Amino acid sequence: MSDGHAWQGQWKVRLYERVRERGFASLTAFAEARPAVPLHLLAEELGKDDIVGVQVLSGLLAEAERSHQVTRFERDVLVRQLSQSLPEGWPAALDDANRFKVAKALARWIGYTPEAHQDRARQVMAALLASPPPPGWRPLGPDDELLRTLLPDEEV
Amino acid sequence: MTPMRPRPWWAVLLLALPLLSTGCASWTPSPGRGTNLRYSPREVEIPSLTYRRQGAREAVTAVESSRQGALSAHLAFVRALGDVTTSTRRISSGLSRLEASKRGIAGRYPDLFVPFVAYGAHQLRWMDAELAAATRLSTLASEMEDPDMQLALLRLGGPRLQSTMMGAMLLAVWLDFLTLADVVLAQHPSYNVEHLFVQMERSRTMLGPAMTALASGEPGQAEAATADLPALIGHLTGEFAATRERVLESEKNLQKIVLVKDLLESVAMVSALKMALPRMLGPTPSATLGVGLMMGSNGVMMGTRMVVSAEWVEMMRQLVRAGVISLPAVSAAVRIHAGQVMMAEAYGDLPRGVREALGDGPEVRGMRVTDRAGAGMAEPPEHHVMPQEFREWFEKRGFTDEMSIDHFCVRMEQANHQAIHGGGDWRLGRNWAGEWNRLVMSELRDAEMAAGRMLTRNEVLNIVAELMTDYGIPMNFIRRRGR
Repeated sequence: MSDGHAWQGQWKVRLYERVRERGFASLTAFAEARPAVPLHLLAEELGKDDIVGVQVLSGLLAEAERSHQVTRFERDVLVRQLSQSLPEGWPAALDDANRFKVAKALARWIGYTPEAHQDRARQVMAALLASPPPPGWRPLGPDDELLRTLLPDEEV
Repeated sequence: MTPMRPRPWWAVLLLALPLLSTGCASWTPSPGRGTNLRYSPREVEIPSLTYRRQGAREAVTAVESSRQGALSAHLAFVRALGDVTTSTRRISSGLSRLEASKRGIAGRYPDLFVPFVAYGAHQLRWMDAELAAATRLSTLASEMEDPDMQLALLRLGGPRLQSTMMGAMLLAVWLDFLTLADVVLAQHPSYNVEHLFVQMERSRTMLGPAMTALASGEPGQAEAATADLPALIGHLTGEFAATRERVLESEKNLQKIVLVKDLLESVAMVSALKMALPRMLGPTPSATLGVGLMMGSNGVMMGTRMVVSAEWVEMMRQLVRAGVISLPAVSAAVRIHAGQVMMAEAYGDLPRGVREALGDGPEVRGMRVTDRAGAGMAEPPEHHVMPQEFREWFEKRGFTDEMSIDHFCVRMEQANHQAIHGGGDWRLGRNWAGEWNRLVMSELRDAEMAAGRMLTRNEVLNIVAELMTDYGIPMNFIRRRGR
């Protein structure tokens, strides 16, 4: 939730102040302590009125780039999008409504993936739709086995 | 650097609505409703992460309370729509009856008087269209997941609801004039038809501009007409009373006078004139003269008479707090119901207690300033949240008429706008592709690809609403000017 104040002032300073106030050295550590929690809820916890989801997202990406863990970051974001769209896990039947929920989660994830990796992300989307995970599948973090198969770490 | 601004009204609103709604049991949604959470904390599976759970629970509570706020506003909207529809239906049947009145208005001089009835019927047509559009928006709002988007859609329907509400009041007054003419033509054949025609024409000319403004669909014009409505109805009451007197004076036969008088007094029972007339005509000063309006437990009272019920006040309060209907419009409506339409009274403000019961507060007054900005006087640029370069794409998915993408514009401070368009120094990640327009379109297209079909209008709105939340763009839509 934001009232339009999110982009005013030094939001990066604000973001990291809030993270430190909560006892975390990095935004990534803060987020790792809240696996599978959607981005907008992370933002809400950091600042109900003045921090928004994409700020958290861009902070996480910047840290991931520095620590060469961008692929892990991408898996983490996918987990959060799936959790937001499909809180009950992967649907048993892909009826119209469920198909939309899946599509929304994957499309948002692609949009939030760094541009250079978007084509790879689209391939992951196609793979997930072509051979869907078992019903009820709810990855709880970036180390989920299926996700690591679909999107293995390259940097390490 | 942008100067500090007061917190926008709707941010306060989301906090205030649930608090307000607990004040009235009938407006509190049952606990089973609206639990369609997008995120439910999975505490059982991850017991070690206590910190996360606490934060997540707080966030979920915030989502839940804004959901309830949106639900209360939605219920009020539906009720208000129902109220207005009831009165337009009543007016419609009144007009049909008059149109077929072969002894009266459609009798000896149909060419002179039937056009007056047709004028009324013509007004009903725009009102029906506006009500239908407001109903569609209300239905759409109920289908949205995001409470902010629900409120935004209700606000989009607000001006339509408001102008129909005010228009129906004015049209009810016109129906009284028509009924007066009908009685005179039917019961008082010796009355000078030319006089009657001139009087009717004058009254129609008086109410015409206000009616046209309300029908215009231009929020600024309609709002101005609304504020002047009590005074206008005051004038019309005077005209009505004068005509009635002239008719009675011209009749020589005492028995006939009594008959016509009775008939005339039963007129003016439809509209606001009912309350205003006794205070003008009554030989003994009305008991309520000089008695102010007060907020009581049963509603707004004037002396011992109830002007509007507590339910009505609560309904309007929800709508005012949600920014659906303006406080000046509701105040005008209360004044008209109270018969306080004389000039001197009309320019006064409602008593504070009544205003507060109707939802007045600092944030609502701040909202009016925002509205003025919405009327085209302030600078921040308007921005289509659904990129207008892709107008056709959106039209194919149902964004036409009252749902055209021109209705979904936001006003953003320059700093925000640049941030969202990827300008400035906001990208921490070098490869960030989050430029708004590109992001919206690319996401919508990816979603269609994944879904294997065209998205519906609701699905597009659902996606856009979530993106706006993630980007911190307030869901406070304005309509692009000049279309």
